[in-house]
Amino acid sequence: MNEARFMELLSAYGAELSRWPEDDRTQAEALLEVAPHRIKDIWESERAFDHLLALEKDAPASIALETRVLAVSPDRRTARSRRAAFARQWRMPQWATGGAIAASLALGFAAGYAGEPSSTDTEYAKMLTLTGAGAGSVFLTAMNDPEN
Amino acid sequence: MHKVGEQCCFDGLADRPGGAFLGVGFQAMRDPDEELVRRVGAGDKRAASELVRRHLPRMVGLARRMLGDAAEAEDVAQEVFLRVWKHAAAWKPGQAKFETWMHRVGMNLCLDRLRRSGRHGGEVSPETPDVLASATKALDDRQRRDRVRDALQKLPERQRAALVLCYYQERTNIEAAEILGVSVDALESLLSRARRTLKSALSAERADLMSGIETS
Repeated sequence: MNEARFMELLSAYGAELSRWPEDDRTQAEALLEVAPHRIKDIWESERAFDHLLALEKDAPASIALETRVLAVSPDRRTARSRRAAFARQWRMPQWATGGAIAASLALGFAAGYAGEPSSTDTEYAKMLTLTGAGAGSVFLTAMNDPEN
Repeated sequence: MHKVGEQCCFDGLADRPGGAFLGVGFQAMRDPDEELVRRVGAGDKRAASELVRRHLPRMVGLARRMLGDAAEAEDVAQEVFLRVWKHAAAWKPGQAKFETWMHRVGMNLCLDRLRRSGRHGGEVSPETPDVLASATKALDDRQRRDRVRDALQKLPERQRAALVLCYYQERTNIEAAEILGVSVDALESLLSRARRTLKSALSAERADLMSGIETS
């Protein structure tokens, strides 16, 4: 660590080394030990300023607030219902499950046929239509029709 | 890269404990709140009480320093805990530290309120001459604290947020940068500017304090 970086960190974090980036603390300590008076004076001045800022401390939270917060904390019954609600979020409705299975099957067939080396583009489009792949396949058929 | 100003709304997982934000050094750390949060999720009232005792003062402190209003700070702290109660059962340990997540939620709530009310903090220039600089009478700690509090409130929002997280909430630089959605370099720049601005605003208190140290 050079002096410039030391001063940069001092101006950001102050003289309390526990606030400094962990990797720089040991080097900063070593540098400070052999530093000229000019640097040590700046350090002392920053330390006094830290002391001033530290006067603004946390007061304990009020009892009234603590009571309000705790009054709505979950008990065993509400915790159970929350867990159940969370599980429900991830459960699919039956129609969606059925649809997903059907779509997977259709895609599986489509991928299988597409891998056939003898398939032409037109046959592939027909196959998509047969497997019920929908409007996309109609568009593909039309695009591959030599008369279009 | 997110900026503080873009974080006013919650975005999916980042708003949930163990959610989308990860600090480089977080994963290897053991989360001191892990067991407690698991028990809260299972409906253990004693664990909830312990979690409140551990974190409520800090959440109130964060919000008070950001908003400058004690009643509003309590509302924000309460809102943070409502979210804790809601998500505790779904908490997944081993991602972000629970306390860091709480800070992110609290900071976002504060920034939302500041934006909605149009309070962004004063743009105090470090070169602004301080009217208090001529004050010669010795100040007691209470007066000094009030001046520090006022000066903090006058800091621009981003500078205040960086300073509050690193100096008062004791977040590491990596955690604070994550919470604010900025790089560590940008965080250091915010901290330096905040400190410079405060030094200027508190020059009388600083001189008073230094003379006290020299004469003692």
